Order: sequence, then structure tokens, then C-alpha cells
Amino acid sequence: MQHPVVRREFVRVAFGAAAALLIPFRTTRAMSAPAPHPTPRPGITAAKVLRGDQVGNDPKLAAIFDGVRTMPEIVDGIGCQCGCAASEGFYSLLTCYEGESAMARGCAICQGQGALVVRLHRDGKSLDEIRRAIDAKFG
Amino acid sequence: MRCTMRPLSVIAIAVLACPANAQIRASEPATVTQTIDGTKITMQYSRPRARGRETLFGSPDVVRWNEVWTPGANYATTLEVSKPVKLEGHPVKPGTYSVWMVVRQSGEWTFVLDPNVRIYHMFPPDSSDRQVRFPIHPHDGPFTEVLTWSVPEIRADGGTLVMQWGRTRVDMQVEVEPSLRITMDEADALPYLGEYTFTRNRRAGATVTSKFFVVYEQNTLKGYWEPDDAYYHHFALIRIAPDWFAPGVYDEQGRIYEVYRPDMTVEFKREEGRVMSLEIRMDNDFVWGTAKRVH
Repeated sequence: MQHPVVRREFVRVAFGAAAALLIPFRTTRAMSAPAPHPTPRPGITAAKVLRGDQVGNDPKLAAIFDGVRTMPEIVDGIGCQCGCAASEGFYSLLTCYEGESAMARGCAICQGQGALVVRLHRDGKSLDEIRRAIDAKFG
Repeated sequence: MRCTMRPLSVIAIAVLACPANAQIRASEPATVTQTIDGTKITMQYSRPRARGRETLFGSPDVVRWNEVWTPGANYATTLEVSKPVKLEGHPVKPGTYSVWMVVRQSGEWTFVLDPNVRIYHMFPPDSSDRQVRFPIHPHDGPFTEVLTWSVPEIRADGGTLVMQWGRTRVDMQVEVEPSLRITMDEADALPYLGEYTFTRNRRAGATVTSKFFVVYEQNTLKGYWEPDDAYYHHFALIRIAPDWFAPGVYDEQGRIYEVYRPDMTVEFKREEGRVMSLEIRMDNDFVWGTAKRVH
């Protein structure tokens, strides 16, 4: 059975290197301290989140972006655990999906959290339940 | 614009990184940081050199017997811990401490952590009940020219903090607070136990099917594949949420050496309250494999 983690580590490093070149620098902090979950901003929309067909040829990544676009009020209530929460202008996981240079285009942790939020919300989980799941897996 | 700004930014950072007052010191400053299961342990110290001095400990010119000595130079060496730890079994609260040793010609020495920091080495603190004090046991080691703090051994639950200078070495065991509980009560494990048919979807539509077993061994919920997976063998299923588990792999001594969180999550699924299947999901939430209960 092929061990998946070694391959994943390689992909993550490659993505990370690419992201460092393509994405504006964002201050990071240690992953060990989970970010608190923010309160969703009233009236928040996904207007700044790219459509799936705008983020490249990866259908799985496209599905995450399209999923996030359908539930900005939920994603905005999730803190990101990848270390970007201390960066300037950050508010929530939704921030990671906003703009042309969205961090989630290259960050596996942002993608994983987004995918988990989308799945659990579609499964009918509440925001608090989703937050607990994010903390359990990524915190 | 980004293409022109990035090189300029790099140059600016490089210029700013140059120290304003570079200085050659007899005891150059150093920092050693080690994270173990989320607990960050940092030693900050200046590093005296032996510089041909045959005797370091017991010398009237270097470290005198019965002296309260900071294992470093200049300002007292500091230890910072981000979470509660135990040093040689003695609880140490999160914070920063100056580090001292009462050095003796024979027998044990005394290790002292004092809450006051930024103390010059010539002014050791008096004993107080705010200090953490415990005996340590110096022993001979390979010659070390520059005083060195290191963490040469790391386990899932701690490590060994070592000070070396000259031919003297002091080892201290560090225990960190575990972020996860590896063991599980048998009653809690019972719903998951059984045989499952495991299917892994590979690229190009190919699937691999094998048997997957969930068992209770040594007070721990464990999983394994049949035929045996050469990497995972019997791995711990460590509960991170109701019905969610992170795999923990064991070394040859039977100790957990890595927990795949968030890399992999084993999510058990219930039907009418009974655990009937599971999914193994990666950190990007994609399904790596699924299994259905057979027995």
C-alpha cells in the first residue's frame, strides 16, 4: 500500500514554494496556537471569492471554491489554522478564499478547512459543530 | 509591479537584517528552540569557550566549586516554556526563567530556575520559594569546546535537555503535556471493534481492496490492514472528536512517534447508532479510502 503522507508532503512543499513566489507575503505565526473563531459579519457575501473555473484546472480545488461561494456566512465564522490568522487584513477563513491571489489557491490547510466546512454544512451541521470539527482536525 | 517590487523588498530585508553594532564576543549569543507536541522550549544563552583552559569546573578563574553559576555567560541563561512541563519530574509553569546551577566538587548539583530574568551572571539570585530547584547529576562526556545546550533525544511525550561544556555533561528529562490521549477505555472502544472491507480508490479508476481490522490492544484502539501494511502495521486510533480518530504510528519499541493530524482522519459512520463504516480522509478532506463493516 502506498504511503500517502510522503507524497502529500512533497506536494505541500511544492505548493508552498510556488505560493511563496506567487502570493504576496503574509505574516505567519506558529500553528500550535489555534486561531479563535470569528463572528460572521452581517451581510457578508462571496463577491471576492473566485469561481471554480477561475482557479485553474484542478476540479477538486474548483469544487472547494464553488462550495465556499455558496456559504460565505458560514466560512466567515471559521478561523484559519494554517498560521495566516495574524496577517494584516485577515478576518476569517473566507479571507483565505478572497481575491486573485487567494491563499487557498496554494495552501493545503486552507483548502482542507474549506472542503471540510463545505461538506459538514451540506450534511446539516451547525456552525458550532463545524467549528468543533475544524478544531479537532486542525487545531 | 510585483515583479519589480519583490527584488527591492528582498534587498531591503537583507539590509535591515544586518546588525547595527556587530561585535565579536568571547561568548557569542545563541538560541535553541525545540517544539515537542506543541510545547515550545527555548534556551537563550551566551556560549563561553574553553579556549585551552584544561579545568573549567573547579577552577578559581572559571567556575568555582559551590558557586551559583549560570550555564552560559554574560546575562543569565534563560529557559522559556510555552506550556507546563516537568523537568526531571518537577513541574515548571509556562514562562521565562533564569537558569542557575549550584556546582559541587562531588555528588549532585542543584538546578535552579528563578522567575527573575535579565540578571548578569555575577549576581545570582538568593534562594526563594518562587524558584524551582532540584538535584541534577553531572557526568563525564566527550570534550565540548563551546558550552552547548541541546535536545539530542525527542519522544512523543518529551525529550532530553543537555548542557555540555568541557568534559562535563548534564542531562535532564523534559516531559510535556500530551495534546491527545492515546489510550481509551474499553467500553468506549467497543462500538468500533470488528472486521471491515477496505477499499482504496486509486487514480485511473483502479481500486485496491483489503481487510481492515479495528482491535483493542494495550488499552488503545488500534487499526491494521491485512495483508499487513509495512508502514502502519498496527497503528493507534486516537480520538480527536466523537467518531473521529487520528492515526498514530509506533516505532520498534512500541512508542508513538508520529500522529497524522491533520494529515489523515479516520471518520467512523453510524447507522441507527451502530458503527457500520469508515472513511479515511486527508488534510484536504479528500477521501483516501473507505471501509464497510463485515463483522
